Amino acid sequence: MSFKEKIESLKKKFEAEAARVKDVNGLEALRNAWLGRKKGRLTGLFNELKAVAPEEKPEAGRLVNELKSFVQKTVADRGEDLRKTVTGPAIPDLTLPGRERYVGSLHPVTVFEQEIEDIFLGMGFSIEDGPEIETDYYNFEALNFPKHHPARDSWDTLYINDDLMLRTHTSPVQIRVMEKKKPPIRIIIPGRVFRRETPDPTHLPMFYQVEGLVVDEGITFAHLKGTLEHFLKALFGEKIKLRFRPSFFPFTEPSAEVDIECLACGGRDKNCRICGGTGWKEILGAGMVDPQVFKNVNIDPEKYSGWAFGLGIDRTAMLAYGISDLRLFYENDIRFTRQFNIK
Amino acid sequence: MKISLEWLKEYVKFDIPASELVDKLTMIGLMVDSQEEKDGDLILDIETYANRPDTLGHLGIARELAAAYGLSLEKKTWAVSELEEDTAGIVGIQIMDEALCPRYCGLAVKDVKVGPSPDWLRRRIEAMGLKSVNNVVDVTNYVLFATGQPIHAFDLAKLEGGRVLIRRAKKGETIIDLDGRRLELTSDMLVIADAVKPQAVAGVIGGAGSAISESTRDILIESATFDPVSIRLTGKSLGISTDASFRYERGTDIGFPPQAARMVASLLSGMGGKAARTLIDLYPKPRKGRAVLLRRQRVIDLLGTPVEAEFIERTLAGLGFKLSGQQNGAWLVEVPSYRVDIDREADLIEEIARFYGYDRIPSEPTPARSFEPAAGKKRDRLNRIRRAFLPQGFDEVINWSFADPEVANLFGQALVPVPLKNPISVKASLLRTNLLAGLLENAAWNFNRDLEGVHIFEIGNIYYLKDEKPAEELMLGILSAGLLPGGGWWGKKTSSDFFVLKGALEAFMKDLRYEPFTFEKAVHPFFEDGFCLSVACKGLEVGSLGLVRKGIQSRFSIDRPVYAAEMSLARLFEKQPRPFQYVSIPKFPCVVRDISFLIDERVPFEEIKKVVGRVNVSWIEAIELIDHFSGPPVPKGKVSLTIRFRYRHSKKTLQAVEVDQVEGQVIEELKSAFDIQLREGKIDK
Repeated sequence: MSFKEKIESLKKKFEAEAARVKDVNGLEALRNAWLGRKKGRLTGLFNELKAVAPEEKPEAGRLVNELKSFVQKTVADRGEDLRKTVTGPAIPDLTLPGRERYVGSLHPVTVFEQEIEDIFLGMGFSIEDGPEIETDYYNFEALNFPKHHPARDSWDTLYINDDLMLRTHTSPVQIRVMEKKKPPIRIIIPGRVFRRETPDPTHLPMFYQVEGLVVDEGITFAHLKGTLEHFLKALFGEKIKLRFRPSFFPFTEPSAEVDIECLACGGRDKNCRICGGTGWKEILGAGMVDPQVFKNVNIDPEKYSGWAFGLGIDRTAMLAYGISDLRLFYENDIRFTRQFNIK
Repeated sequence: MKISLEWLKEYVKFDIPASELVDKLTMIGLMVDSQEEKDGDLILDIETYANRPDTLGHLGIARELAAAYGLSLEKKTWAVSELEEDTAGIVGIQIMDEALCPRYCGLAVKDVKVGPSPDWLRRRIEAMGLKSVNNVVDVTNYVLFATGQPIHAFDLAKLEGGRVLIRRAKKGETIIDLDGRRLELTSDMLVIADAVKPQAVAGVIGGAGSAISESTRDILIESATFDPVSIRLTGKSLGISTDASFRYERGTDIGFPPQAARMVASLLSGMGGKAARTLIDLYPKPRKGRAVLLRRQRVIDLLGTPVEAEFIERTLAGLGFKLSGQQNGAWLVEVPSYRVDIDREADLIEEIARFYGYDRIPSEPTPARSFEPAAGKKRDRLNRIRRAFLPQGFDEVINWSFADPEVANLFGQALVPVPLKNPISVKASLLRTNLLAGLLENAAWNFNRDLEGVHIFEIGNIYYLKDEKPAEELMLGILSAGLLPGGGWWGKKTSSDFFVLKGALEAFMKDLRYEPFTFEKAVHPFFEDGFCLSVACKGLEVGSLGLVRKGIQSRFSIDRPVYAAEMSLARLFEKQPRPFQYVSIPKFPCVVRDISFLIDERVPFEEIKKVVGRVNVSWIEAIELIDHFSGPPVPKGKVSLTIRFRYRHSKKTLQAVEVDQVEGQVIEELKSAFDIQLREGKIDK
């Protein structure tokens, strides 16, 4: 067989093999068999060229190169064809529901607490905490609640003994912080608090509160108003109507209570179950830190002033979402909790 | 405090629409809680504060309203039909304890015809939500609700020896009160006694013995001032709160008793009574007026708005304060005796602010002169723990801090619980010593509402006595029971098991870099014997996990297996997390090899891992258990394991021979430690 015949026979063999290729793997095998660097047939053919008589060499070389180009082109074309007609998995019913993954939910109190914290973190406040079992001194006396004063009646207390109690507010942490840190102070204190209340739709023996405290030179009631307005608008939306009215807390003077417009009726329902027809809902207590409180922690009330506020986290969430019963927060019905995942 | 608008108009004349009035009162700190139409009158229910006893009467509210609108109070005169006698000639009164009774006025009124009240009086009493009793009792109540000064009326004839002693009760003395209760008195209680026995618990409640009755003719009117703390303690220890004690414990106007007594006498005159010419007014140590320095600059500094001097003067004068000696922008302000709440500059500033209007004070951002650290470390950690559980399908719960002693007993803990002194109920009379009880309750609640699976966690304190002192400790509780979330048309739902719980716990420990952590077999009162591990971080035991004991979970009526864990975050946080370090992404390929073998099923995997770990080669990147199988065709007593090794060198591409050699070492170690049987040749992937 002449070299040319051999080349032609190889070409036919290649064409036959190429025709049998059905998939990418087959094509790969074909490529290896013909073009493989060590054992490929064409590589072998180039080796054979060495044995060809010198005068035939140019012609033989041309034939081999032609075949190589042909093989390369065919492999490339087949590859192209195969890519076009690739057969993947059978096409499923694409309208079947997606394989959703369940992600757990934070407790709504946590959701709300984090939201409140974020607003204050954005205003440069830091976060503090303190013990839930408190002494009479921190829970009451240092906050200017004299012993045996009826002011204590509004903070119905669960006692452990004559001196120890479950804290009725997070305000004792104000005292603890002011004892160890000198002004400027700019903190919020979220946490669990307790009252001696039988659970009903609007009262709980345990709930969550967030307290805020600012102490520095030149702090005014205008700062209290501005900051709390910003906070409540961030929480309830820019358009929420607010009012500050005088109130009484032993640890602030002057004291204020802040109402938001009733989100249920907007003040239009005289028999509104939520606001009792007043159009307003009390949302937080606040005021300028009482000079006696400063004296109790050795801060000079002539040099420094400050403001403080306290707000019930669950109660606020209740208002924000129209939840009718506070007890729902601690029943831990997962159907309730899960709703807040998408808040 | 209920306020009748009709009655209020006796003190201050105004013609203001009710809605505006309600708004005004609210904005000066007299919040109107509700309002009610009653026989053509409007009754407002005003929220009053513990520091403002002066607002516990119509007169006080009238003062506020007058100040708010710049009106003046109506001057009332109280005409009295007089006897030729002095009270002192009729009865002898003596204060034995001046500290507890700084002022006592007594006024005798004779020939009163006790009977039904006239219509006008009945109307006032009923407006206050009370039932009319008789004219004398109604008059005393009328004066109380008009002025805030409590009044008591004794039947003079019943006072033995014609004497009234204001003294401490003697040990063992008792009294039958107006409601027929027998009260045991103690020596720290003040009583109004006659020559023989107590006739009233001072400022709290009268005695039945000297009460006004149909047959009463002559009356002694008491109008007094008592020590607030003493009244409060007495009322609390007797468990009695009356309209009188409510006012006394907040502090009454020490300047007012004579006038209130005359007011009673005048009203009784209209019912045939004749009052003694003079009253007895015992006021051994008259109080000096209080004067407080007020600086205008301080007002401005605290309120953040330039309040005019003229406004300050007008407002305080309108409220009955006397301003004197203004110089350098400061006044000496004399406080009227009815304002028991005011003795400091800040108190006066609040008065100014109230009438200036909180709504007129500008709103400004609080300036910051310092940088504060953002969220504290603890908050960051807790939020990271939460973040670790959510993607694993665990929901967060928050439970009460209280525990039911009966339930707490089931848990067999060594911790001594903290009992509450005044719990709301027996079922909430302890503080919780674990989180598991709450989690089990949540599981039961949700299973009872048709949830197929409950996978929850809680972060919160437990409480216990440590060296007899209450202590609190931050815990993490995890519970998993029932079907796992997921599954659907593509595959069945699977049930939770121990390893779901363990995996969740491992994930959070890794997420917070609390590594290395280890598990050991353990015994724990919450978990079935043999089905419990303890977990330790860097050698410190921080918690336990396992299958909840049948005896415990059956109390919560849960029928499926419950896996739970309870960990002390307080202890965990004592350990430092592994520092975070960036590791560069590997450049060289990974060689993956699996080893499959049969081994005695009693050999714990932890042991196998330890043995494998003896091969000390830095480029074993990861060791994973990818298959664990027992049952046919695996012989009984054996288990088939496939462990996947990932080899990767940081500086070069590994050669097959190098990997072969290490793999050989692993097999050697396994063979020397255990009786293993390789299942098939190595698989080079």
